[in-house]
Amino acid sequence: MTKNEFLSKLENELKKNGIEDVDDILGEYEEHFAFKLADGYTEEEIAAKLGKPAELAAQFENDGSGEKRGGRKLVTVIGLVFADLFAAICFALLWAFEAAMAAAAAATGTLSVCLLLGLNIHSWIPAMPYWCGAIFGLCLAALTVLAAVGCIYVAAYLRQLMRSFARFQHNSMAAASGRPILPPIPTNPQLPAKMRRTLRQFALVSLAAFAICFVLGMLVSMLSAHALSFWHAWGWFGYTGLN
Amino acid sequence: MNTQYKKGVLELCVLALLKKHDCYGYEISEYLSNHIDIADGTVYPILRKLKSDGVLTTYLQEESGGPPRKYYSLTDLGKQTFQNERAEYLDFAKSIRALLEDDNND
Repeated sequence: MTKNEFLSKLENELKKNGIEDVDDILGEYEEHFAFKLADGYTEEEIAAKLGKPAELAAQFENDGSGEKRGGRKLVTVIGLVFADLFAAICFALLWAFEAAMAAAAAATGTLSVCLLLGLNIHSWIPAMPYWCGAIFGLCLAALTVLAAVGCIYVAAYLRQLMRSFARFQHNSMAAASGRPILPPIPTNPQLPAKMRRTLRQFALVSLAAFAICFVLGMLVSMLSAHALSFWHAWGWFGYTGLN
Repeated sequence: MNTQYKKGVLELCVLALLKKHDCYGYEISEYLSNHIDIADGTVYPILRKLKSDGVLTTYLQEESGGPPRKYYSLTDLGKQTFQNERAEYLDFAKSIRALLEDDNND
């Protein structure tokens, strides 16, 4: 008897006896064949030593846990449906946050390019001397980098969180139906060390650049407007202060 | 030897092996069929029964250069069961031995 003959006979006998998890059982015998073949036995020798498929199948008892498991499975499924609803809402909110952050990064990026190039389409940007605007442009560019790093990290975190949740679900079902449990997946993102260092460096440098440019931009604006509240002096927001 | 009779003892042997360390199915099958005259395939139904009794659990472990292997390990119930059944068996075997050897001498 070859390996395939043995396995298909065993499968038929097991199904005839109404045994559950036939694939699981066949997996064990397949592994047995793999080990023995690696030791140099032929498929015929291995099958002969294993015993007759019909006799082996008869030794697998139907432990009567089918119905019990069925009940437990149902409870698990109902529990998981509620957990899924809750998790789906959480994931949707978290992804919305990710989208908002990406949009903010795109907005600050665009604004910084406009300020640096001195573009003022439809006069949407409040009037100010070019150099003040350029410094604020740099400040916004730094903010864009910071937001982009944040986006990457949050996306990695969410992806890992969803994978972890999927594994939890898989294991809950596996436990309810008696299949083997896989190791859980950690919830924090598993970025490569090099990428993590690079992201951290980008974040720190852009944070520092943002702070410096912001303060510098305020100071230069105050000096060139000869006023502490330069936005009043330049008549921003349609309000000109004391004038 | 009677298969049913052997099967009961084999359960105890499996527990004894797993008491030492966690094994994958083939390891157990190989050890038992080397020491006791049984068909290689007999061990797998026993493992499955012990698992459904809650005496064993399984977990998958990655192996270098191969698919993950299913390891068997004793549960707390399994350790307890092993202690009880081991003592019971040794007691039982002692009585039988005494009886049989006594019988031989007559």
